[in-house]
Amino acid sequence: MRAEIINPFLQAASEVLESELGSAPQRGAIGLQRSAYTSNEVTAVVAVTGEVAGMVMFAMAATTARAMVSKMMGQDFDELDALAQSGIAELGNVITGRAAVLLSEAGFTSELAPPMLIVGRGTMISTLDVQRLVIPMETELGSLEIQVALKLTGAAAARRAA
Amino acid sequence: MAKVMVVDDAAFMRLRASKVLQDNGHEVLQAENGADAVRQYAEHRPDAVLLDITMPEMDGLEALKAIRKIDPFARVAMVTAMGQQAIVMEALRAGAKDFILKPFQPDRVLGALQKLLAA
Repeated sequence: MRAEIINPFLQAASEVLESELGSAPQRGAIGLQRSAYTSNEVTAVVAVTGEVAGMVMFAMAATTARAMVSKMMGQDFDELDALAQSGIAELGNVITGRAAVLLSEAGFTSELAPPMLIVGRGTMISTLDVQRLVIPMETELGSLEIQVALKLTGAAAARRAA
Repeated sequence: MAKVMVVDDAAFMRLRASKVLQDNGHEVLQAENGADAVRQYAEHRPDAVLLDITMPEMDGLEALKAIRKIDPFARVAMVTAMGQQAIVMEALRAGAKDFILKPFQPDRVLGALQKLLAA
């Protein structure tokens, strides 16, 4: 996957997490995701269409998810209820939205579908032939793993191939 | 203290903004899409509206135009993901008084409300 696709997500995640959580996250080494099965308890999924298409996933432990929405809302969440789930989905949505703006500035237009949430380990999410890059982010409230499975399509792919 | 309508399809974001406003003594109405916002505006005539842009059924821009038809003096601030500049500019031309970027901080929400109420 090209740096011009992945870099907007690095920047967006850093900006949004720092704004929402009050401290800058630390980024780990980017790697390839080999398994199609979710290994974390909570995974927010945002589908992307357009010149850049695929999906972006934000995976974390349930304790991290609750800690993050508690911080964002300014009140404790003892369980990952519907409101807390909405908060994690929105966190993924805002990061992806910010990345989409940065992608647009780099010349790649895209649109986002409403975010969805998968709760529970071991769910298979196949991205078929689209490579899935993993960006580990360490925050003061726990680890967040961003999985980016995007590819250039149509005119954008043709431009890059030319 | 003002009567403020918070419009967002994401329950978490709606309640988060509502909490900031209620903690500062304001009365809050909530709407979960543009069509709901237009209905509630006509019924309750809030002093100010915080209006998300990207929503199902009727988006924020269409809702803004419909609300301004009901009340040409409606005081509306758009709530938007970072960088939706083109839509924000269109909303400002259509009568929005301000905009708030997501992720938003409490001070920014209260600042926008103050600006709306002073308009």
